[in-house]
Amino acid sequence: MEKISESVKKKDHESKVRGSALYVDDHVMDGMLYGKLLHSTKAKARITNISLPKLLDGYFVVDKKDVTGVNRVHIVEDDTPVYAEDTVEYVGEPILMVVGPDIKEVKKILNDIIVTYEEETPILDMRKSDAVFFNYNYAKGDIDKAFEEADRVFTETFQTGYQEQAYLETQGMIAYPHDGRMTVRGSMQCPYYVYGAVSKALGCEEKDVQIIQDVTGGGFGGKEAFPSILACQTAVAAKKANKPVKVIFDRREDMEFTSKRHPSVSTYKVAIKNGKITGMDIEVIFNSGAYTTLSPVVLQRGLICANGVYRIDNLRVMGRAVKTNTVPCGAYRGFGAPQTFFAVEMIMDHISKEIGVDSLELKEEYIVKQGDSTSTSGKYHFHVPLPEMIEQIDKLSDYRSKRKQYLIQSGRYRKGIGLSLFFHGCGFTGSGERDFIKAVAKIRKNSDDTVEILVSNADIGQGLKTTFSKIVADTLGISYEQVLINNPDTDLVPDSGPTVASRSLMTVGELLRRASEKLKKEWKSGEVQIMEEHFVEPDFVIPFSLDKFKGDAYPTYSWGVNAIEVEVDTLTATTKILGAWGSFDVGVPIDMNIIQGQMQGGFLQGIGYASMEQIDYNDKGMIRNNSFSDYIIPTAVDVPNLVTKIINNPYTHGPYGAKGAGELPLVGAAPAYVEAMENALGANLNKIPFTTEDTMSVLQEVHK
Amino acid sequence: MVNCYNPTSLKEALDIIAKEVVTPYAGGTDLMIEPDENATYLFINKIPEMKNIVEDKEFIRIGAACTFTNIIENELSPAILKRAVSQIAAPAIRNLGTVGGNICNGSPKADSALIFFATDSKLRLVSNRGERVIPITEFYLGRKKTIIEKDELLVEILMNRNVLNNYYYKKVGERNALAISRVSFAGILNIEAGKIANCITAFGAISDVIIRRKNIDAMFVGKTIEEAKAVKEEYLAEYNKAIVTIKGRISEKYRKTVCMNLLNDFLESNGI
Amino acid sequence: MMKFILNDQEVTSNSKANERLLDVLRNEFSITGVKCGCKEGECGACSIILDGRLVNSCMVAMGSIEGSTVITIEGYRETKRFAALDKAYASVSAVQCGFCIPGMILASECILDKNPNPTEAEIREGISGNLCRCTGYNAIVKAISIAAKEGKGLW
Repeated sequence: MEKISESVKKKDHESKVRGSALYVDDHVMDGMLYGKLLHSTKAKARITNISLPKLLDGYFVVDKKDVTGVNRVHIVEDDTPVYAEDTVEYVGEPILMVVGPDIKEVKKILNDIIVTYEEETPILDMRKSDAVFFNYNYAKGDIDKAFEEADRVFTETFQTGYQEQAYLETQGMIAYPHDGRMTVRGSMQCPYYVYGAVSKALGCEEKDVQIIQDVTGGGFGGKEAFPSILACQTAVAAKKANKPVKVIFDRREDMEFTSKRHPSVSTYKVAIKNGKITGMDIEVIFNSGAYTTLSPVVLQRGLICANGVYRIDNLRVMGRAVKTNTVPCGAYRGFGAPQTFFAVEMIMDHISKEIGVDSLELKEEYIVKQGDSTSTSGKYHFHVPLPEMIEQIDKLSDYRSKRKQYLIQSGRYRKGIGLSLFFHGCGFTGSGERDFIKAVAKIRKNSDDTVEILVSNADIGQGLKTTFSKIVADTLGISYEQVLINNPDTDLVPDSGPTVASRSLMTVGELLRRASEKLKKEWKSGEVQIMEEHFVEPDFVIPFSLDKFKGDAYPTYSWGVNAIEVEVDTLTATTKILGAWGSFDVGVPIDMNIIQGQMQGGFLQGIGYASMEQIDYNDKGMIRNNSFSDYIIPTAVDVPNLVTKIINNPYTHGPYGAKGAGELPLVGAAPAYVEAMENALGANLNKIPFTTEDTMSVLQEVHK
Repeated sequence: MVNCYNPTSLKEALDIIAKEVVTPYAGGTDLMIEPDENATYLFINKIPEMKNIVEDKEFIRIGAACTFTNIIENELSPAILKRAVSQIAAPAIRNLGTVGGNICNGSPKADSALIFFATDSKLRLVSNRGERVIPITEFYLGRKKTIIEKDELLVEILMNRNVLNNYYYKKVGERNALAISRVSFAGILNIEAGKIANCITAFGAISDVIIRRKNIDAMFVGKTIEEAKAVKEEYLAEYNKAIVTIKGRISEKYRKTVCMNLLNDFLESNGI
Repeated sequence: MMKFILNDQEVTSNSKANERLLDVLRNEFSITGVKCGCKEGECGACSIILDGRLVNSCMVAMGSIEGSTVITIEGYRETKRFAALDKAYASVSAVQCGFCIPGMILASECILDKNPNPTEAEIREGISGNLCRCTGYNAIVKAISIAAKEGKGLW
């Protein structure tokens, strides 16, 4: 193990384990008021009247009329209203906020408000929507020729459902005006996203806005863009009140009304000639929900991953993100990749059965190698370690022999084992890092020779405070304790970009390393010194053009292999997970415990995505299962010990050899699980979540 | 304290409930999901007469205010009851939740109520007017509707000692902990002198009330295993008609299929 | 007005009988180590130790705890047992976002208090009511097992 990988005590361990870390709801300010949003109860309607009850002194309502800037939350585009205007586009759309000194009274007032709607017909099924928010197409080779010459064409459609991030700490913000400025603090991943959005909504200059990230109880993407919306709403309320306003979501409110993973429908047409895959024609639809938010980028990533880890020379991928009258979907660990990786892994598995070869054997034939062209005609510039990872997983799980063994079973319990191959593109998609983010990182040496890290990336549990500190300490040759890092405050840190896309360690960590190297060379004890580094795109990167959808979508990739073994009780159709093994290449781990924790946490979220986590709309556009009792995430007794291994494959352009790690472990769990279910049930499956009820349906079909 | 009573004896509690509209609160794990601002709670979690587990010649008597943890930790508790309550929710809920609350809440998903059905248990309801002991099968009128009077408290559950052996129990939830039952099944079969002396089955979580069909189960009583096999098809057909699952988020077909599968497995595990 | 014992000190509360212990702890006593994750007894973030038992404080009405003993992380963290758990959790970096952690620590205490040498299955059962979305549970289970081993004589 590299020295940098040796685990240390996390910077935030003490305060969190002692219960003294302060999350946004733990903060109380003098004169603070409480706010609660009124959410639309209709999926598509015109608001014709809002009638308020009599309000006690000190209680008031905030709505679109109180927005002093633009009534739009800037995310990628600017279509999300801060407060609804004349129409509502989904159940949950915020119409107004009730604010006052006692939260019970605020809730009472909320209950007594009567909104009159003129209902219109909502579109809830993404397949029936004509409203295309975004579409991208790309191709390489000659797919039409491949189809002409094919002797067989496989066509199959795959579906993936919503997934709710289910961070343990719900969304929350406190906004407070002071000295002509507005400060907003709260649970978030991207302080500078919130900064830009709040200043636009208030109509003030950016210098008059201050955003502070509070200790955040989990994000997983759910706090990437959504906090900008809540922050704008809370800031508008605080401006009207001229007092601090705190808004904390209830769990049911959070589950029902905040951003989720995009559901998808993907149709694959695969050309086969002489037993070889000669081309793929892929169509992908993502359900964007009512507003655009992050859909363009999620769709981009999903499409880039559409042909998986496979070398497909004749490829056409067409994708669109469509509007439906449902909650706007956004970022969730994996960000489009889990959807298409599920589809491509399953189709490869189904093709192998049709052709009459073993699933892994077929996949191995097509795994890309270093030097191969990517889906978007970029290049795999670095070693692809999948073959050795497959061997490692096979050894650990006995995959190959169990897979064969489980083909023939009888009795009440049926076992199955499945395997998936996947990657995660490291960093922001395309040229976003270079053209939009333009990250700046700083370190400041104080006169007492402590060194403070100044970046806007947020530790949301993934250990950035610790890993960033290790990079700086180790590069400078000083002690870990000598390095300081606080939660980002836009008054104090530059914009080093958002905490997304598995970019923080690889990209910002590298900037910190360079800044530290510079400081080391110029170190003057006892003096205050500041080093600043700006992002520079590595020179090997083939620039990505979004218009042409061509080039290196990512500088490099992190790779994964998952095997999952299940046992199905045919009497009850319930599934027990007997084993889950993951091999992960994330470059050099900056801290082994932290990286292992990320792999295990992501792996379990992926298992939940595949099996028990189901959330859906009824025909009125309402989510019915909006609580922890009905939205089922795994408990400690739902899984065995997850076996996660990190392989050694350093990335030359990442700090100490590190590359993107956060999202990879979620991406491949679902196809491994569903392949295992197929092995157990003896049927082809094409949807997730694949629930107990789905299992029962298949058991009854097969029984017939 | 305003808005509540904390009686220290059963008599005290009964006196209060006789003259005032109060909400009995034992563990609180159902009530506190949506606490009623205007309710006056009668806290019965510390009343000694409701927290005993004792046995006499006929019965094992379980105090209604015993928590699930109390039951698990007491060696007198029947194995079938321990088995069921140890799968309720999670430790923190089991430390508060009571069998009394589980029964009186009136939900067909109540895991301990299913066991009381499957063991033909009786409930001892007490008020200042007197007391009555009724079979649990007569306690429910419908979902969340019981025959308990406003001035009554459920004090004890009487479990017949002769029917507690050779049990079959299965809870099917959405996951292994913190799971509300989607289907729950309990069955008991006792053989005496080569003949079936008792056959009791009960199905929970699938209908408005727990399903118990004494008349169908009676088809096996007095028969040998071989004789029982001869009427098995008819028995299953009768249950196929009797098990009507109500509409819910989980498909009726799924729940019905699981019920029939478990019932069949219960029979097969007894050689039928 | 009612009295109970909070972290070894007798306190008086002005709360109403049907207020949640969770809310009273956080608002009246500024005990913010007890977190609110769902208010339905489904996540364990609000776990405390009531009269020696792990309970979800969101499920406890104030009127039911007259004279009872309540221990939160604020009280527990001064103990030697906590120090052993602290060290164990740190050694495997089991703390990620931290929101489940105060509840997990108290659940850990309740496991080891009853069973100083738990198996992995018993540990998992003991924390089955504490949801964690970050860790996948591996590190937490490992930490409790380490504390059991290293904390000889404490439990």
